[in-house]
Amino acid sequence: MSDELDPHQKTDTEPSASRAPVPVWIIVLTLVLLFLGAVYFDAYGAWFNNQVYAPYKSAEELALYQPKSGAAAILAHGQAVYDNVCGLCHGNDGLGKPGQAPPLAGSEWVVKDVASLAHVPLTGLNGPIRVKGQDWNLAMAPMGAGLSDPDLAAVLSYIRTSWGNQGSAVSADEVKVARSAIGGNAPSAAELAKMTPVERGHAVFQKYGCFQCHGQDGKGGVSNFNAKTAELVPSLIYVADGYTKTELIAFISRGERNIPRKNPTGPEPPHFMPKWGPVISPNELSDLADFLFSLKPKGENLGF
Amino acid sequence: MHMKMNKQFTALFVGVITLASFGAGVARADDPLDAATQERINRFEKGPAMIDVSKYPQGIQDDYQVFSQKCSQCHKLSRPINSDYALPDEWSRYVKRMMHKPGSGIDSSSGKAIYEFLVYDSSLRKKAMVDDKLARLSAEDQAADQAKIKEVRDKYDNK
Repeated sequence: MSDELDPHQKTDTEPSASRAPVPVWIIVLTLVLLFLGAVYFDAYGAWFNNQVYAPYKSAEELALYQPKSGAAAILAHGQAVYDNVCGLCHGNDGLGKPGQAPPLAGSEWVVKDVASLAHVPLTGLNGPIRVKGQDWNLAMAPMGAGLSDPDLAAVLSYIRTSWGNQGSAVSADEVKVARSAIGGNAPSAAELAKMTPVERGHAVFQKYGCFQCHGQDGKGGVSNFNAKTAELVPSLIYVADGYTKTELIAFISRGERNIPRKNPTGPEPPHFMPKWGPVISPNELSDLADFLFSLKPKGENLGF
Repeated sequence: MHMKMNKQFTALFVGVITLASFGAGVARADDPLDAATQERINRFEKGPAMIDVSKYPQGIQDDYQVFSQKCSQCHKLSRPINSDYALPDEWSRYVKRMMHKPGSGIDSSSGKAIYEFLVYDSSLRKKAMVDDKLARLSAEDQAADQAKIKEVRDKYDNK
């Protein structure tokens, strides 16, 4: 049998296994396991968040991560809203971003009187402003107009007392006063009563600053970096084509927090549609929908 | 020999990193929408991602090409295919809503092709849903929707 060693063979070297390729299934299995591992890690790994991984060195440190009450709770809530709404442009560190938004840390505007500070998130800010000796000329949408009084008060309190700012906390009542002062330019009740629903809707469109993002008379929005909609806030002149009145009111009330990205790996677009339901009254929403429907260019017919 | 091993290892390493980051990306991508809407979309998207149009008239098969090319730019095709929209009135509204989004790349003629495909397809594939929805409408709306279905069916069937 050939199984037996040939006694004449010289065995002056150690026998060795020759190199064989790794079986394909092992490579595939490895890749699949690593893929699943990455998915699992992403879902449950908390991305090395301090609160999950860091060993607590003292009871004080642990207390830092516990739910807070009173003023601290308001500030924590303010921070959460800030990070979600304002931080995209002003930075979670309050340092602002060149070409996007001026800093809030150390800004003289932030610690001014509450009314003028609240005016910015409530009505937006267009045009030149000097912050810490530097000139800025940008457009900000009324990002705070869609927030409730307590939410906006919490945000303002947070930015006035963070990053070294030495301002006072802001109460929900102060925000309410500031908000009603802005409404002062709006038509009076007597004037409103004489208007048609479309005219009243136009007043609503102005009152809540819809034009800041969607343009005057909804004719075309401001740029919205990395938004899938051609990096623009959509114009509103064709909503009559795409929505029933009920659907339109539901959409405005619900808002749209997640704006699809043009480049999926790029940054989140800075502008999104706030949730207006808690802010604009049902009657106003109805008038607003009538106004928006009236914007459709006359005589255009798509034939379906 | 050594070089070759290195090369193999590098290829494997690059592959693993690519896949791993892709895995992370997949998990990242599902940002929470409003829960009810998300649940509805998920339900639709779980269904089949294509329609067998081989028995449809040639014109509708052409429209299906427009539909599958344009609508899959922004969302899965299974979403409209399995959605609970069925009536011409609904499709007209939703197609227009999508085509008016800036950068949709859907002009009025492709918008119309998509609309006609969806109405035609719904009248057969979702017939039960169409009938059910029609039965709930006012006589006037019912007549309007029926007329629109007939218009599309006549346009393509009688060729």
